[in-house]
Amino acid sequence: MYRILPADVPLRYTTAPGSARHPVPVLLLHGFGSSHESNWVRTGWGRALEGFPTVGLDLRGHGNSGKPHTDEAYTPSVFVTDIVLLLDALGIERVDIIGYSMGSRLAWELALARPDRVRRAVLGGFGPVNAFAGADLDRPGTDQSPFGQVHRAAAALPGNDPAALAACTRGQAAHPFTAVPAPAGTPLLFVAGERDGLADGMERLAQDTGAAGALRVARRDHRTTVSAQAFKKSAVEFLARAPAAFSAV
Amino acid sequence: MTEALVGEGRGANGAALVEMTMQQAINRALDTALREDPATLVFGEDVGRLGGVFRVTDGLQAAYGQNRVFDTPLAESGIVGLAVGLAMNGWRPIPELQFDGFAYPAVDQIVNQMARMHYRSRGAASMPITVRLPSFGGIQAPEHHGESLEALFAHVPGLKVVAPSDPNDAYRLLLQSIRSDDPVIYMEPKARYWDRRQVVLDGARAQAADTGGDPIGASRIARPGRHATLVAWGAMVHRCLRVAELAAEDGVDLEVLDLRWLKPIDTDGLAASVSRTRRAVVVHEAPLTAGLGAEVSSLITERVFCDLAAPVQRVTGFDVPYPAGPLEPQYLPTIDRILLAVQRTLEF
Amino acid sequence: MAEQTFTLPDLGEGLVEATVLEWLAEPGERIERNQPLVELETTKSAVEIPSPHSGVIVRLHAEEGAVVQVGAALVTFETEQAAGIVGTVPREEERPSRRVRLRPPAE
Repeated sequence: MYRILPADVPLRYTTAPGSARHPVPVLLLHGFGSSHESNWVRTGWGRALEGFPTVGLDLRGHGNSGKPHTDEAYTPSVFVTDIVLLLDALGIERVDIIGYSMGSRLAWELALARPDRVRRAVLGGFGPVNAFAGADLDRPGTDQSPFGQVHRAAAALPGNDPAALAACTRGQAAHPFTAVPAPAGTPLLFVAGERDGLADGMERLAQDTGAAGALRVARRDHRTTVSAQAFKKSAVEFLARAPAAFSAV
Repeated sequence: MTEALVGEGRGANGAALVEMTMQQAINRALDTALREDPATLVFGEDVGRLGGVFRVTDGLQAAYGQNRVFDTPLAESGIVGLAVGLAMNGWRPIPELQFDGFAYPAVDQIVNQMARMHYRSRGAASMPITVRLPSFGGIQAPEHHGESLEALFAHVPGLKVVAPSDPNDAYRLLLQSIRSDDPVIYMEPKARYWDRRQVVLDGARAQAADTGGDPIGASRIARPGRHATLVAWGAMVHRCLRVAELAAEDGVDLEVLDLRWLKPIDTDGLAASVSRTRRAVVVHEAPLTAGLGAEVSSLITERVFCDLAAPVQRVTGFDVPYPAGPLEPQYLPTIDRILLAVQRTLEF
Repeated sequence: MAEQTFTLPDLGEGLVEATVLEWLAEPGERIERNQPLVELETTKSAVEIPSPHSGVIVRLHAEEGAVVQVGAALVTFETEQAAGIVGTVPREEERPSRRVRLRPPAE
């Protein structure tokens, strides 16, 4: 069941209980233009994560959460503040994260800003490339760049607010991803589709950060990797690993 | 639809004896009605092409065509409204409301039109409509699929309400309902759909007029006994028969009265049975408060108060919304709850 | 036993077709209700469809990569006796369990 966290920008979230075998909740962070429902629920992650306590939310500007229209409302640090607010409200000290695309970027930022709150992170559909290369940031979605196409498809989805998404695009683009500094002490796992251009350079980033792995899913692209069994299995295996497995990290 | 030929034979008057499930018995009754009377029409959600969600109308559209067996939109009020209009124009509609809980949207048409059109028109417009309503619980289905609406409909002047408990009664009572010129709510106990027994099939239209002898409103003694009467209908009849078997092991001889008609209620049959056994337990799936058990209990008290050795007991569902599947066994009257009620009447 | 064919459900958002990305069960395999059955790709997203039935997969009606229209056959199961679209066939114990014992009345 979904609940609303009241705030200046209200956040819709949902939680599911797990078994005693998995004490650390898994936070699910969806991608740009998506929502918790379409990124994680409809793709079968609920079944894949059975036994894990989970927390999922619609990021601001998305799903049924608040949708401000100013660029400044969408910087990575604002998203991080939202997430910490939610974890505080739920009384959760530390989470594992599974992110996808923009959600992976935010997982990275959260692990950097608040390493005490993040145990491990699975970064799906994500690499160090500039996702906004060639995109017209004044009028997002009007050009033929890879991101332009993503934006156009997202803005056309029922329930999405094109103005909020445009502001989100500019807010994110104003703070480009940098591979340094990297979150130290948070074991990472990278997963992306074999045909996912937005994850170019992922292997190198994984190597540089001492990640547990960088998995390419055969025959999948940025959109179709989300539901892939290989993604789910590797994430579950990574999160279920005994802490000793990471003692060398 | 395949029927077991095992056990097929000829009964009195040349009527055929065929072993079949309740689903097949209802299908057979509809088939008989469609064949003998060109004014009959079968319609509802998924009854045509699909043959019903429980296969009850299987094959009827293929046999009688899309004009006489047809699918409707998902609009129960419209289904009954259509039946009312058809009835006023000389048809004999047999609409299906797919599940008990889906009858609620049709209550306005049932109560305000179907039940009182005959009265309102001073007898000019009869309503020979039989609303088939798969009813009661026992199949662990989701919400809206396990409700017992008999008290609601029995309370409405102008309606008749019937609930068969086995395949033979399902066949007979359905034909009786269809042939009646009054509106009947025919409640099918879903949990007994797969119950397989011998059914006496009608020979010809000629002898079908009274369908085997019992008039509308007649109850049936499903098992004779002398220490107490269990009064039930629908799927609870079968449960009461199981209880009677167990009680017999303890030397207690229970009578099981299958009420069959919940409006009109067979007051004479009820009084005769309880006056003999001196004790009565009413069992139904519906919640306790203002359930039909209260009516039955009152009728017994009014008619045979001086014969009673103990107050009439009621074993029913609880005063809560019908629960989700896994809780159903706790909600429905259990064998032990019925036995306890019997014990209360024996020890009073 | 009965065969039941599952057709591509309406995936919402006005979508009329989907591409089979990957089958998660194969013919001859037994699958439980709600287990992952197939991954589909629509013009808008990827989705995982859970199995609507428990049973053995008899036939897959579309190969991976094939485009399937809403309402077209996806997979055929062989299922145990089916109640209908909802619910289960009640099973009856040969010998019902009881705790209450009765004492016959003095006559």
